[in-house]
Amino acid sequence: MLTKKQSMSKAIRFVLISFTYTFFLFSSYSTFAQEDTSDGIPTDDSSVSAGESTFKANCTQCHAIHEKVIGPALKDVHERRTKEWLLSWIKNSQKLIQSGDEQAVAVYEEYNKIAMPAYPFSDDEITSLLAYIKVESGKEPVKEVAETTATDSTTAEAPVASGYLTAVLIILVVVLVLILFVLSLIVNTLTKYLKEQKGLDEADAEIVDQRTSFQKLLTSDFVIGAVVFIFVALLLKTAIDGAFTVGVQQGYQPTQPIAYSHKLHAGDFQIDCNYCHTGARKSKAANIPSPNICMNCHEVIQNIEGKEGVSKEIAKIYEAIDFNPETGEYGEDTKPIEWVRIHNLPDLAYFNHSQHVTVGKQECQTCHGPIEEMEEVYQYSTLTMGWCINCHRETEVNTKGNDYYTKLVEFHSEQNDQPMTVEDIGGLECSKCHY
Amino acid sequence: MTMRKSTYLILLVGVVVAVLSGCTAGVNDTGLEYAPQMYHSTPYEPLSQVQSEDAGSWLDSNPEDGHGEFYNSNPYNQYKMNMLTPVENTIKRGEFLNDNEIAIDDYEKAEELLLNPFEGDEKALKRGKELYMMNCVHCHGPKGMGDGLVGKRYKGVTTYNSATVKNKKAGHIYWVITNGKGRMKSHASQLSVDERWKIVSFVQTLQKQ
Repeated sequence: MLTKKQSMSKAIRFVLISFTYTFFLFSSYSTFAQEDTSDGIPTDDSSVSAGESTFKANCTQCHAIHEKVIGPALKDVHERRTKEWLLSWIKNSQKLIQSGDEQAVAVYEEYNKIAMPAYPFSDDEITSLLAYIKVESGKEPVKEVAETTATDSTTAEAPVASGYLTAVLIILVVVLVLILFVLSLIVNTLTKYLKEQKGLDEADAEIVDQRTSFQKLLTSDFVIGAVVFIFVALLLKTAIDGAFTVGVQQGYQPTQPIAYSHKLHAGDFQIDCNYCHTGARKSKAANIPSPNICMNCHEVIQNIEGKEGVSKEIAKIYEAIDFNPETGEYGEDTKPIEWVRIHNLPDLAYFNHSQHVTVGKQECQTCHGPIEEMEEVYQYSTLTMGWCINCHRETEVNTKGNDYYTKLVEFHSEQNDQPMTVEDIGGLECSKCHY
Repeated sequence: MTMRKSTYLILLVGVVVAVLSGCTAGVNDTGLEYAPQMYHSTPYEPLSQVQSEDAGSWLDSNPEDGHGEFYNSNPYNQYKMNMLTPVENTIKRGEFLNDNEIAIDDYEKAEELLLNPFEGDEKALKRGKELYMMNCVHCHGPKGMGDGLVGKRYKGVTTYNSATVKNKKAGHIYWVITNGKGRMKSHASQLSVDERWKIVSFVQTLQKQ
């Protein structure tokens, strides 16, 4: 009986314990659930996805969840700040700062006093935005695969590859010379051996006793004549080529005060030539950009991507324009950057950039070559008169949609079945360029 | 005798070749100039400054001036520059605008007072697009989404259709291009007033997408 009673009480106790246990479980769950919405931020799918689209359209330029961009990382921002604070900050951060809110002023000071613009969102929109941030905060940051920049790989690989090729070629030549040497040794020993043998055929003996020595061949009139002819021809060719380079500065590549790379700016980042060379479409000279144009980007970008501190070359701009990268202030002590001119026409010829770029719609690369691939700029074209004239003969005039040319095209097509070139509208007149 | 003569001849040709092949331009070497006086201007040449007074003294055609033929520098300017920065408080021709009453950071007032002279002008819009593709696209991207190649690296580039800016009027955009805003710097030195307004026309089409 006792045992029965005991087992009964045991059973009751078990039920009680399990009941209290489940009660606690439930209650703890419910408290957890209460905590979850106590900040007023729902985590249902619809608000999260609405928040995601708002975030991506409006916030990603300056904010990321896990890292600092322009503004702070937004991970767990809903825990750091109250919802009311966030609402008024997003709607009008400047108003909050001016009201003297301590947190607002602190954030503003910490992030270099860059004002966050006022967003005309409704409370619901901001709530869904916070829902997205809340859900994203719980996720692990996605690590981006580090991209090696194009510049690094090409500059590192190209010389290595060519060096390797030359090494292989040299080894090949050495091996071939060795083979030649060994072969001639073999021939010598064999002839010696055959000469000692008696009773060879006449034909065989003739081959062994060959007397056509190299010396005889070398001193023959034909060989001497041919060598002299080739030598003189080569000398003349070099002399004439040399004479043609007098006054032609093709290939001139002066060392510039700043190691500016056109490949990086115009090639990798595809910045239009006209952004910096503002004169090209308006005036005679394309102009060297003034440092304030450099500073449009380089006040912020102070080094190669991923590197800390100020790059040695960018520091030269700062020195010239008297900019202090630590305080972000400009001083008065400016001085010119002394770039070295590359393209120089003699004074007897006139050239105007705007005429060719704006009116003629010529690409910069037509004359300046593959600038977007040049680490250091060199003169690509000869800039000779023949070179100018050749282009004026070949280039067709684009007369489409330009009434100025209507009559001219009519006259031209009456007399000529070829398309109208620059030559036909006076592009070869002396006084066009020489006056 | 003939042997010696021909040796001299070959040597002479060799010297001529050596001299002529030295005429070619290369790194830090312009090569031999034909009529050097023509390559080195007598008038001030803003883009090729030569400060050394000895430069070209070997062919000085005017010894009285006290410097070499190639010297090209203005001793009366700061740093003896041939170039000059614009005089302070002067306005470029055609740039005069009734801007004076608007503070450079007063975007609200600019938005209210400044009107686009090219409003509804199709040709100006087309030119605006061309200018946008030259001057803006590397940061703001072809569709104004702030995703240009430079923009991605620069960060914080405005998306034209984001809630804060999509309803801004022409005057605001003009004032931002002229004076800069946030991380964007002033582009007034690169673009004339008319060019800025044409770009504004195009940017307004991107706001509405």
